Amino acid sequence: MDESKTTLVGAEKLRALIVDDEAPARERLRRLLEEIDEVMVVGEAVNGMEALERCAALDPDLVLLDVRMPGMDGVETARHLGTLEEPPAVIFTTAYDEYALAAFETEAVGYLLKPVRREKLARAVRHAARLAAPQLTRLAEQSQLGRRRTQVCARLGEQLRLVPVEDVLYFNAGQKYVTMRHRGGRELIDESLRALEQEFAPDFIRIHRNSLVARRYVHSVERSAEGHLFLRLTEGEETLQVSRRHAAEALRQIRTGH
Amino acid sequence: MSAPATAPGNGRGDERDFFLPDFCAARAVLAIVLIAALLGFVLALARQSTADGFWFDLARTTAFLLWAGLLCAAVLCRARPWLAGKALQPGIAWSLTLMVGTIAGLSEVVYLLGRLWTARLGSPSAILPDAHWRFVLPNILIATVVGALALRYFYVSQQWRRSVELEARARIHALQARIRPHFLFNSMNTIAALTRSNPAQAEEAIEDLADLFRVSLNDARAQITLEEEVEIARTYQRIEQLRLGDRLQVRWNVADLPPRSIVPSLLLQPLLENAIGHGIEPLPQGGIVDVRGRLDGATIVLEVTNPTPARTQSPSRRGNRMALENIRQRMELAFPGRAAVEVDDAEGRYTVRLRFPRVGDGPAPGTPARPDGVTPRS
Repeated sequence: MDESKTTLVGAEKLRALIVDDEAPARERLRRLLEEIDEVMVVGEAVNGMEALERCAALDPDLVLLDVRMPGMDGVETARHLGTLEEPPAVIFTTAYDEYALAAFETEAVGYLLKPVRREKLARAVRHAARLAAPQLTRLAEQSQLGRRRTQVCARLGEQLRLVPVEDVLYFNAGQKYVTMRHRGGRELIDESLRALEQEFAPDFIRIHRNSLVARRYVHSVERSAEGHLFLRLTEGEETLQVSRRHAAEALRQIRTGH
Repeated sequence: MSAPATAPGNGRGDERDFFLPDFCAARAVLAIVLIAALLGFVLALARQSTADGFWFDLARTTAFLLWAGLLCAAVLCRARPWLAGKALQPGIAWSLTLMVGTIAGLSEVVYLLGRLWTARLGSPSAILPDAHWRFVLPNILIATVVGALALRYFYVSQQWRRSVELEARARIHALQARIRPHFLFNSMNTIAALTRSNPAQAEEAIEDLADLFRVSLNDARAQITLEEEVEIARTYQRIEQLRLGDRLQVRWNVADLPPRSIVPSLLLQPLLENAIGHGIEPLPQGGIVDVRGRLDGATIVLEVTNPTPARTQSPSRRGNRMALENIRQRMELAFPGRAAVEVDDAEGRYTVRLRFPRVGDGPAPGTPARPDGVTPRS
């Protein structure tokens, strides 16, 4: 953390990205930031998805993130930003959000209340810090925002690849990484199966020690000659084995789910 | 100064707040007749008259009680405005005195009739009393006891009604007066941005915000014309429009509404607010809200439709239900039993429909508490 702070307050200007779905709010933040010497506004984004794209393209040092945005909210956007190799520092902005404010306080995350005051903005910019992934997860839980992500993020080198959760067929844990199989292919992600299970229950069902399947893609349950249970999915040809230990609970969830 | 038309009474002067019911009302008269008949029956039974004397005793007692009850009602009805002007304890004392006096007078007249009967026919009547004090005194005592009990009953039930009403009013007020902090701070932020880039627009936004808050801080039971209510909703839309830009489109279709009809204030605006908050804001591309108003015979139908985003989070639904419940309660208060809130949630469109009677077209005399600041714009 200390290292990130020293890089932020360097000799060069901080490159800032403004993310807010409301035009007047972006306009005002831009004007205020332009009055602060250490900062240079490099771009704007109107929602979380666009923010992630702009971050990949512009590589800003600092992102001012509105908490309430359509589609992907600010906290979820921050969680995805946190998976970048060199994530930017984040300052949240909000007009009023009881839960989010309490969460920002307890996690000591930088935030600003709209309408933003110039002095507070300047101070927040100087103290802005990168957020660690566990901190962001706790933040999501406490703020009741972005707790259940709409997208799962895979990293390909410096690029982020976002896959909508509803396109994911299953997660499979290998030796080191978790494979995410989705309608467009498969991706390696750096997350634990247990955390994914907690976040996406009851839409995903644990069928084996190493696999989590999306209930909506379960087509049928089959039994092999040896007596093993398999799931056939509505997409793709492969079948997934259901372990004995998880069979009863998994079958119950599949049946009651629809 | 926008004082509400009827300030809550301080116990004096306000007839509606008086503990004695209106005995001139048809319902009250019917109740008295029924009570007299039942009481006559009970008394006749209690005296254990012989099988032969029972019907005779019943008729005699009931006839007297009917006269007593109706006379008391008539006296109290006439004296009610005068009694209502008194403080509580003198009011009760005078009411009791009037009742006892009426019954004493009636007893005296009945006794005199009995005397007259005896003088004319030579033998005492079986129906009318012949002993003076043995008839009049017990009647006065009974009148005192029963009258005191009745007054106590009226007082307690009026207190109960009043506390129920106050509670309902407080609850509605609490619901309505809740200024959505999110809306307030977002608007302030928009205005802060506009003050430099577009001062004229910022000025207009402040005026709109002031109009909106004036109505929202008004008496929860304030009534305004439909035209004014539509204008409040449009004011609200203008503020949100600044914030949301092209994402928000509202199609107004309210030309068929009777502009002078009277409605509780803030009926349409919360519906529009819900539609924008739950239907438009969660959509990155925005959407269209339809506001439709029409006249269906003597019923006004107001409809607000918004697109439903795929993922609806539970907190917003709760907020929506609360707003609808609030509107339902206030409509019920304004149009008891004649208003309805309907919800259609189908095929990606969410519609709330209000039905309520068209009332008070024209200058509408005696309409309470109109918000001063709301002037229709051109």
